[in-house]
Amino acid sequence: MLRAILRTGSFLLMASMLYTGCTTQATGRFYGKTEAPKNNVLRYISGSEPESLDPPVATGQPEARVMMALYDALVEYHPKTMDPMPAIAESWEIGAGGTEYVFYLRKNATFSNGDPITAHDFVYSFRRAVSPELAALNGYLGFYIKYAEPYNAGEMFVRDRDGRFLLKSDVEEKAASPADVPVADMGYPTEFHKYIDSPDRLTVPRSEKARNELFAGNAKLKAAVEGKELVPIKGEDIGLEAIDNYTFRIKLKQPAPYFIGLLGHQLFRVVHRPTIEKFGKAWTKPENIVTSGAFLLKEHRPYDRVVTVKNPNYWDAEMVRLNGIEFYPLDEATTMMNLYKAGSADAIYNHTVPAAWNDVIRQYKDEYLNHPEVAIEYYTINVKKPPMNNVKVRQAFALAIDREALAKFRKTTTPLVDFTPEGIFPKYEQARTKVYTEELKKKGMTMEQWKARAFDPAKARQLLTEAGFPVQQNGTSFAAPSFPISDVELLYNTAESNKAIAEFIQAQWKQNLGITVPLKNMEWKTFLTYRKKLEYSGVARAGWVGDYMDPFSFLYLFYGEKNDSSTGWFDPKYDRMLDEANRELDEMKRFEKLALAEFMMIQEQPVVPLQTQATNWIKKPYVKGLYPNPGTLHAWKFVYIEPDPNKWDRDVDNIMKVSDPWVDQHIARLMTTQETFNAQKKA
Amino acid sequence: MLSFALRRLLIIIPMALLVVSVTWVLIRLAPGNFYEGEKTLPPAIEENIRKKYGLDKPWYQQYFLMLSNVVRGDFGDSLKYQGETVNDIIKRHLPYSATIGALAYLVALIVGLSAGIIAALRQNSSFDYGSMATAMLGLSVPNFVLGPIFVLVFALGLYWLPPARWGGISNLILPVLTLAAIYMAYLARLTRAGMLEVMRSDYIRTARAKGLSETDVLLKHGIRGGIIPVVSFTGPALAGLLAGTVVVERVFAIPGLGNIFIQAVLNRDEPLILGIVAFLSILIMIFNLIVDISYGYLDPRIRYE
Repeated sequence: MLRAILRTGSFLLMASMLYTGCTTQATGRFYGKTEAPKNNVLRYISGSEPESLDPPVATGQPEARVMMALYDALVEYHPKTMDPMPAIAESWEIGAGGTEYVFYLRKNATFSNGDPITAHDFVYSFRRAVSPELAALNGYLGFYIKYAEPYNAGEMFVRDRDGRFLLKSDVEEKAASPADVPVADMGYPTEFHKYIDSPDRLTVPRSEKARNELFAGNAKLKAAVEGKELVPIKGEDIGLEAIDNYTFRIKLKQPAPYFIGLLGHQLFRVVHRPTIEKFGKAWTKPENIVTSGAFLLKEHRPYDRVVTVKNPNYWDAEMVRLNGIEFYPLDEATTMMNLYKAGSADAIYNHTVPAAWNDVIRQYKDEYLNHPEVAIEYYTINVKKPPMNNVKVRQAFALAIDREALAKFRKTTTPLVDFTPEGIFPKYEQARTKVYTEELKKKGMTMEQWKARAFDPAKARQLLTEAGFPVQQNGTSFAAPSFPISDVELLYNTAESNKAIAEFIQAQWKQNLGITVPLKNMEWKTFLTYRKKLEYSGVARAGWVGDYMDPFSFLYLFYGEKNDSSTGWFDPKYDRMLDEANRELDEMKRFEKLALAEFMMIQEQPVVPLQTQATNWIKKPYVKGLYPNPGTLHAWKFVYIEPDPNKWDRDVDNIMKVSDPWVDQHIARLMTTQETFNAQKKA
Repeated sequence: MLSFALRRLLIIIPMALLVVSVTWVLIRLAPGNFYEGEKTLPPAIEENIRKKYGLDKPWYQQYFLMLSNVVRGDFGDSLKYQGETVNDIIKRHLPYSATIGALAYLVALIVGLSAGIIAALRQNSSFDYGSMATAMLGLSVPNFVLGPIFVLVFALGLYWLPPARWGGISNLILPVLTLAAIYMAYLARLTRAGMLEVMRSDYIRTARAKGLSETDVLLKHGIRGGIIPVVSFTGPALAGLLAGTVVVERVFAIPGLGNIFIQAVLNRDEPLILGIVAFLSILIMIFNLIVDISYGYLDPRIRYE
C-alpha cells in the first residue's frame, strides 16, 4: 500500500516537473545557455555512432554528416538546396545521351598527407565502392556505372573461340540499350572508351547453379553460351576511366539525369589508396587515417565523440573558418535536448525535437528550424490480399483521412496527397500541375477536385459501398458491418510517434468509414521483414528519404517486379514510363513524363500518402552557414561561429531567404568554374 | 574449500557455452538481420555480404565455427562496426560502465550500510522511520525517472553539473547518484533486517554476557552476521553494475557496455551480442562464486565440503 502511494507520489512529482519543464513560456530570447564557443569549435550532435569511418562502408545519414567533414568528393551539396556544386571537380559535362560524364579536376587538391588527388584516385575509390570484396551495403548506388552491377555480383563475360565477346543483342530480341538515342561524341577517344562505348556485352552468373537456372528458361541463351569461355568481370572493366591525371570519365549503363546529384554521397567520396593497402581494415584508426576533406580526424571515441580539426592542406582551406568540429554520436532525444539547453552542444541533427517539447521549442524563433524535407511518411497497402486487393477499397481508405488535421496534430509536417514530397522539387511540381490538369480534363475533372483527395469522406464511403461493403449511417456515426475487419490491420514499428499517428488514423477511419482497424506494433527489424515479405494484411507504416534531389528517387520505389514498395504492386507499363522519362534530356519534358507515371501509380493507390516530413531540429543563433536543407546534409566549410550577437541568425523561418554575404560570396566563387565552363562551351 | 572453488570454476566454462548457444539460437530465431534495412538489397550485394560473413554455410557449420571461436575467446568482428573486433569493443567500453558501476556501489555501500546499521540499532526511532521511508522512495522511483529529475534540477535548473556525456568528475556525479539510489535503498533495508535478526540471536547475548563492550559486540559479531544478506545481494548486483546499466547510460549518454549491448541487439550484431552475453554470464558466475566463498569467512557455521 505504502509502496503504491509512494509510486503514485513519485509519478505525480515527475509529471509536475516535466510539466513545468515543458510548458513554460519562452522566458529568455534563447533556449538555455547561449554563448558562442570561444575556441571556434562547433559541437554537433550527429545521431547514432558511425558504423565506420570508411566512406563507402558507412551507410546512413548520421555517418554521411561525419564523412562530409572528413572526405571531399567530385561535387559537394549546395548548403541550401543540396544541388551539386563544384568541389574537387572544377567543372563537368554530360554527354552521349546522358550516359557519359566527364569531370575536370582541380590541380591543387591534396589528401591530408599532401599527396595530390588525381583522376586515378577517383577510379580507385569508385571501383572499390562497388567491388564484391568490400560488400558495401550502399554499393547499389553505383550500379548506374556500366558493368558495375555484374562486377559486384561476380558475373562473367562470355568469349567465343575467336576472342569475340558475346553481346546482349546476340541473345535478346532487342537490346534495351541507350544506343537507340542519337548521341554526340564527347571527344577523348581512348582504347578504353572504344571498349566501354561499344554495345553491351552479355554477362552471366558466376555460379554454375545460377547459370543453369537462367538457362532453363532460355534455350537461346543456353545454346549461345555453351562451350564458350567465361571471363570474370574485373574492376578494370567497369565504366570508369582516368583520361589523364585531371580528367575523369564515367560511363553509365543507361541515362540517369540524377546521377550527378548522387556524387556527393559518401559512397563516392575519395579515399587514399596507399593507406588502405598498407593498413587494411585498420586504415580508419586515427593514427593511420588519411582523408581528403576540409577537416582531419583527431580523435575517435566510439559512442562519445569524433573530434575533427581544420585541415591546413585542404585545397579550399582559406575559406574554412571553424577550427574544428566535435561530433557527438547520440540518439537519445531527451539527452541531446538537455545538452543543447545546458549549452554543451551547438546544433542537433534532424527530427530530434520530441513532440512533447515542440510547443516550447518552436517559440524560439531564432533557433528552431522546421523546413520541408526530402522525406515522406505514408502507409503501404498489401494489394495482394483481400479486401485491399480492390482498388476502390484502397482509395476509400486513402480518402477517409483528414490530412490537414493530421498535420496540425503532428505540428511539424505538411499534408501529402501524391507520392513525391511537397515543396521540395518546385520545377517538378510545376510540370506535375500541368500534366495532372491535362489528364484530369480527359476524365472531366479539375485540379481542385483532385486536391480534394486530401480529405473526402463522402467519396470514401461511396467507394467503399461500390466495392461491396455498404456504409450505413446511424445518426452522426457510420458503420460498415459487412467489411471483413478481421482481414485488415494497421502495422507500425514500435515508437511513440508512430503509435500516435496510427491511433489518429484509426480514429479517422472509425469516424469516417465506421471501420475500426486493429493496431499492431513490432520491433524494427521484425517489422521490416514482416512488411517486406507482405505477411501483413491491410496497411503498414512506411517512410522514405530521397537518396538524391530528384523525384525519381521516390518513384523508383515502385519500379520492377521485386520493387521496394512493400505493397506487392507492380506494373510493367509504369516501368516503361519511367525508363522513357529518364531517356529524356530536356529537364521539364522529363519531369512531365515522370509526373504522368506518378499520376498513373497514385490512382492505383498502392499506398496511402500521409505527410511530407520536416527538418525539425535546432541550432544556436551564433552558428551560421548551417541551413535546414532538404536532407540535413551540411557542407561544413560554409559553417562558422559568429561571436558578435548583432550578427546572429534571427527568425530562422526565413533563413533560406535571408542572404549571408559571406556564404553567398563563397557559393558564387565556387560556382564560377562550372559557369565559365558552360559559357565557353556555349560560345 | 579449494576443491569446491575449483569445481565451481570448471563449471563456468560449460555454463557459459550453454548460455552462448541459447543466445545464438534466439538471435537466429529473431526475424531480420544486421544488413537488412528499409531498402531491399540487390541480390548481388546480399550474396556478397552473406559470403563475406560466412552466412552462406549450413547452420551447423556456422554454429560449430562460432562455438570453437568462443572457446578460443575470439568472438570475431562486429558486423555493424566494421573493422572492430568484439573483444576490442568490450575492452574499450567496459571501463566506462565499470567506473560508474563501482562508484555507485561504493556510494550505496557507505550510505546504505551505515543507514541500515543505525536504523537497526535505534529501531523504531525517528531515524529508523525516516531512513526506511526514504529507502522505500528510492526503491519505488525507477532510475529513468530519477535521472531526468536530477538533470532537470542540477543541470538545467541550477546549471551546476553537466546534463550528460563522459568527461570530468562533474560528469560522473549525476549518473553515479542515479544508479546508486536504488542500491542504497536495498542495502539499507537488507542491512537493517539482517542486523535486527542477528542482534537478537543467542551468540550476541553470549557475547554481551561475556562482558564485551557494545562496540565490540557490534563490530566483531553483529556486523559479520548481519551483512550476510548484503553479501549475497552484492554478487549479482555488482556484476550487473560493472557490466553496464542501459537506462542510466542512455539518459546520460555514457559510452558504456549497457548502451552497446542494446544497440547490438537492435542491430542484430550477432558476434557482439554473443561476446557481451558470454562476458556477462562469466562475470556473474565469478561474482557468485566469490560471494559463496566469502560466506564461509563471515559465518563460521557455513562450511563447504
